[in-house]
Amino acid sequence: MIHLGLWLPLLAGLLLLILPGLGRTFAVASAVVSLVISCVLFAGYGGQGVAYASQIPFLPEAGVYYALGLDGAGLFLWVAVNLVVLLGVWIADVPVRFLAYALMMQTGLLGIFAAQDLIFFYFFFEATLIPALLMLWFYGGPERLRAIYIFALFTLVGSLPMLAAIFAVRFLGGADSFLYTDLAANPLTGQTAALAFLGFLVALAVKTPLFPLHAWLPSFHQQNHPSGLADAMGTLYKVGIFAFFKWAIPLMPEGFREWQGLLLFLAAFGAIYAAWVAFSAPDWKTLLAYAGVSHMGIGALGLFSGNTEGTVGALYLLGASMIYGSAMFLFVGLVYGRTGSLEINPVRGLAKHTPALYVLGMFLLMAMIGLPGLSGFPGELMALLGAYKVSPWLTFVAFLAVIAAAAYALTAFQKLFQESAQAQAVPDLNAREWGFAAVTVAVLLLMGLYPKLFTVYLEPLGKAIAALLGGAS
Amino acid sequence: MLENLLLPLVIGLPLLGFAVLGLFGRRIGEPAAGWLASLLVLGSFCLGLVLLLQGGARWTLAEWLPGIPFSLNLDNLSGVMLMVVTGVGFLIHVWAIGYMHGDPGYSRFFSYFNLFIAAMLVLILGDSLPVVFIGWEGVGLASYLLIGFWYHERVNADSARKAFIVNRIGDLGFLLAMGLLWSMFGTLSISELVDKVEAGGYSFTTLTLAGFFLLIGAIGKSAQVPLMVWLPDAMAGPTPVSALIHAATMVTAGVYLLVRHAFILHGDGFLAGLIVAIGLLTAYYGALCSLGQWDIKRIVAYTTLSQLGFMFVAVGVGAYWVAIFHIVTHAFFKALMFMTSGSVIHALGGEQDVRQMGGMRKYLPATHLHGLVATFASGGLVPLAGFWSKDAILAYAFEFGPWLWVLMLGASVLAALYSIRWYVLVFWGEYRGKAHPHESPAVMLWPNHILMGGALGVGFIGLPYVIDYKNFIEPYLTKAIGDFPHEKLPVLTEWVLIAISAVVAVAALWWGFRFFQQKMPAWYERFQAAALQGFYADALYNTLLVNPAKGLAELLFGGDKGLLSGFAGLGSLMGGLGSLLARLETGALRFYLAGLLLALVLLLGWGVLR
Repeated sequence: MIHLGLWLPLLAGLLLLILPGLGRTFAVASAVVSLVISCVLFAGYGGQGVAYASQIPFLPEAGVYYALGLDGAGLFLWVAVNLVVLLGVWIADVPVRFLAYALMMQTGLLGIFAAQDLIFFYFFFEATLIPALLMLWFYGGPERLRAIYIFALFTLVGSLPMLAAIFAVRFLGGADSFLYTDLAANPLTGQTAALAFLGFLVALAVKTPLFPLHAWLPSFHQQNHPSGLADAMGTLYKVGIFAFFKWAIPLMPEGFREWQGLLLFLAAFGAIYAAWVAFSAPDWKTLLAYAGVSHMGIGALGLFSGNTEGTVGALYLLGASMIYGSAMFLFVGLVYGRTGSLEINPVRGLAKHTPALYVLGMFLLMAMIGLPGLSGFPGELMALLGAYKVSPWLTFVAFLAVIAAAAYALTAFQKLFQESAQAQAVPDLNAREWGFAAVTVAVLLLMGLYPKLFTVYLEPLGKAIAALLGGAS
Repeated sequence: MLENLLLPLVIGLPLLGFAVLGLFGRRIGEPAAGWLASLLVLGSFCLGLVLLLQGGARWTLAEWLPGIPFSLNLDNLSGVMLMVVTGVGFLIHVWAIGYMHGDPGYSRFFSYFNLFIAAMLVLILGDSLPVVFIGWEGVGLASYLLIGFWYHERVNADSARKAFIVNRIGDLGFLLAMGLLWSMFGTLSISELVDKVEAGGYSFTTLTLAGFFLLIGAIGKSAQVPLMVWLPDAMAGPTPVSALIHAATMVTAGVYLLVRHAFILHGDGFLAGLIVAIGLLTAYYGALCSLGQWDIKRIVAYTTLSQLGFMFVAVGVGAYWVAIFHIVTHAFFKALMFMTSGSVIHALGGEQDVRQMGGMRKYLPATHLHGLVATFASGGLVPLAGFWSKDAILAYAFEFGPWLWVLMLGASVLAALYSIRWYVLVFWGEYRGKAHPHESPAVMLWPNHILMGGALGVGFIGLPYVIDYKNFIEPYLTKAIGDFPHEKLPVLTEWVLIAISAVVAVAALWWGFRFFQQKMPAWYERFQAAALQGFYADALYNTLLVNPAKGLAELLFGGDKGLLSGFAGLGSLMGGLGSLLARLETGALRFYLAGLLLALVLLLGWGVLR
């Protein structure tokens, strides 16, 4: 079933490219099946270790295996990705081919979380770039060429050191294959580990994104299609935290220690820096881009603390922000569909005409700024509890973003919905959009009020990381 | 105490009201929506009372987050708060049925109102700090939604946003407190923390820091100096909101938080001094500002600030039960004062400027009576509610140091003055406006009748020990707060203090009654001009903090674009130095400078913080 869950979206996407007449219904059906599969896998998970594992020799001479499997974090993120893809293809007002690319990208993302072989991980990590670039290429804004150039450059240049480090991890570490279990049993040590970790760091910092390698993100979002679908997929592509957690830290714990101080600092600084910058964002997509950088800074701070709480917080925040972040982009797409603009100024006063859209926006916004009771909070809190143990000062710096987030988010929100403007009437949510709103709000509440549902599976992983790094470090 | 499934239901009832009215409110319509919301709060009150009479209750969901349970605890302390919030809350709900009549957002209002009650109950009942924090930010959200209830006016939306952002500064303190306590004790359950703090084996300096973080949170929520600037602006919300959230309940949450954590604060000289100083400053600041306001609601808002300062002083001097006692009496007389103001506003068709009022005692006899009682209770006239709780604070202040007693006596003189000023301007003299005042309907009068009863009589549950009659509330509360013994004042001293404060209150009320009927002398006009602006606190903050922060945001935004140019420059560097130099000539210099500055900040920051 794990194979079906992984490859089904790609097949559906290819089929949709060949037969565009199948239309949105087909894309939605595929996304529903994917979501159901991941929910079944999640429900069947025993709570320990890597489940649904299977491995087939691919290039056995080179030690490469087609190996899949899902641990608690992988399953959690599978559910998150599949949910977001469903919401995206359900709501976004885009051509059918666009939906096909989104489905193809889905396979790449699921592969990143399921791969148990480092070469296959690298393959999915890179392959996912292709549909992302295609979406930007075919449906992006007028300055998309520059955005593509920047995006591709950051990603590809960043990945080269990682590829080198991948070989270093295997051959200098002395593992028999690229399988996770093999590599983890033969971790690198000393100066080699520090250098190899640096290779991973560059690639993963681009995808976290971690300051200052977040610089590609604003133009990526600004130039993508206003429907928000490509942005939502791009939000799912921010897998850096997961990759640090799954690969970089366990394979090179000594290397991680070498860089821990710098990483903690970059995460904390990025969190407040991006939130502050977001206040000056001229349009919603830029604002959300920086908001995302800020949240990932908080998450990364938790992860780099290297203890149980911090790791659980980072993973929870990653999954939660995939959902609220993506839904926020799709929501902004709905706003664009009504006003034809994403500019934050001037005042639009939409709430008078669109009370339901206003409520949806309020929920998303509050989840995004970490209001307790909604999905953003549990992850932020656990990250805080973990980070405070390691560095109170950096925690203080990073969580200044809590104040800044209220400032940028509420200010933009006020201009969009509140005050009064001489705007022409726009329609409120239609039936399809109501479905999107209801599911989104339900998930925000569920994740905020009953985090236990997922954290019970994340906690053992956090404990493993903490044990690997020797307690609270 | 028993595990009891009914306890979450106490929160569930108003939460249900929020959901139902939010989804179907428009179909339910007026006045059913208002009655539904009110009755749900009454249900909460009754259920809470039953549980409290059974000796309290607990409810726990283990491992809500790893190591953190979702736990609720109804003990005597949270019980008293629950009675106030749901009891006074119910009355204000009913009053709002009349006040909000005809508003297009009628059901939305009651939906938010119920959300507030639910969040406030979470805050009160929470036994695990993250749960308290859910309520803490939940009431902040409700407050934001209700201040900006009429958000089509920009000033209302701005005020709501300001309240939320300023509160978030306090919330950061709360968050850091959780981080610190977790790293110290590995638990965030209040009842477990009590034991761990008692057991010892930690650094007292660190515990002081934890108390300090909690204090920051309390300062934000209770609008103490220096985070007081949001409360006066919060008056942009409908009057029932001001009465319920920004006078009777939410703003006292900071005081409650501190009292709940008395086991951390107690015996810490630094924190005690700091809390007393903050409370004193706020008591004076609020009182002086109130004396210069013309907007009837802003007058009352600043009086609330002043009274909250009294509560902080009570916490600072270790009189924890007195702080809660003052919350109770204050909830009655301040809610009454706000709703009397609201009735007057209602009678005058929305007029809020006291210069357009006056003479209301002839037009609104019942409301006048409410106003008179509120004035006397707030001014500290014997034997009304406000007198007893204020007097208890004064007695503890005297133990702390006679100088503090003198200062607090000064603050209570001001309290008498601002109360009587409000009364004189609204009810006395001749009517100066042009509307046709009409008395409020029964649905607005009856809640005020009941509150008036409270403002008259509720002080008798906490009489000073020298009066040979039972003090109910002190032993009741100390059971939950913890017994921190203190030396009682000698009988004679206590009697003298009571007599002085009683006489001073009467004198101040009488003097104020005469003074505020005259034409104001020139010195008062000058004072009033500054007080009207809140002594320029807003202007100061804008100049020193808000505008620089916005400017820095612009600068960083430019710098971030420069970052990309920086990377591009790095690429060019690979290609050859020549192209880099060429780039320098294209006018991107300031980006480089911004980048340079950023790099410098980074290096320094890393050096300092690592």
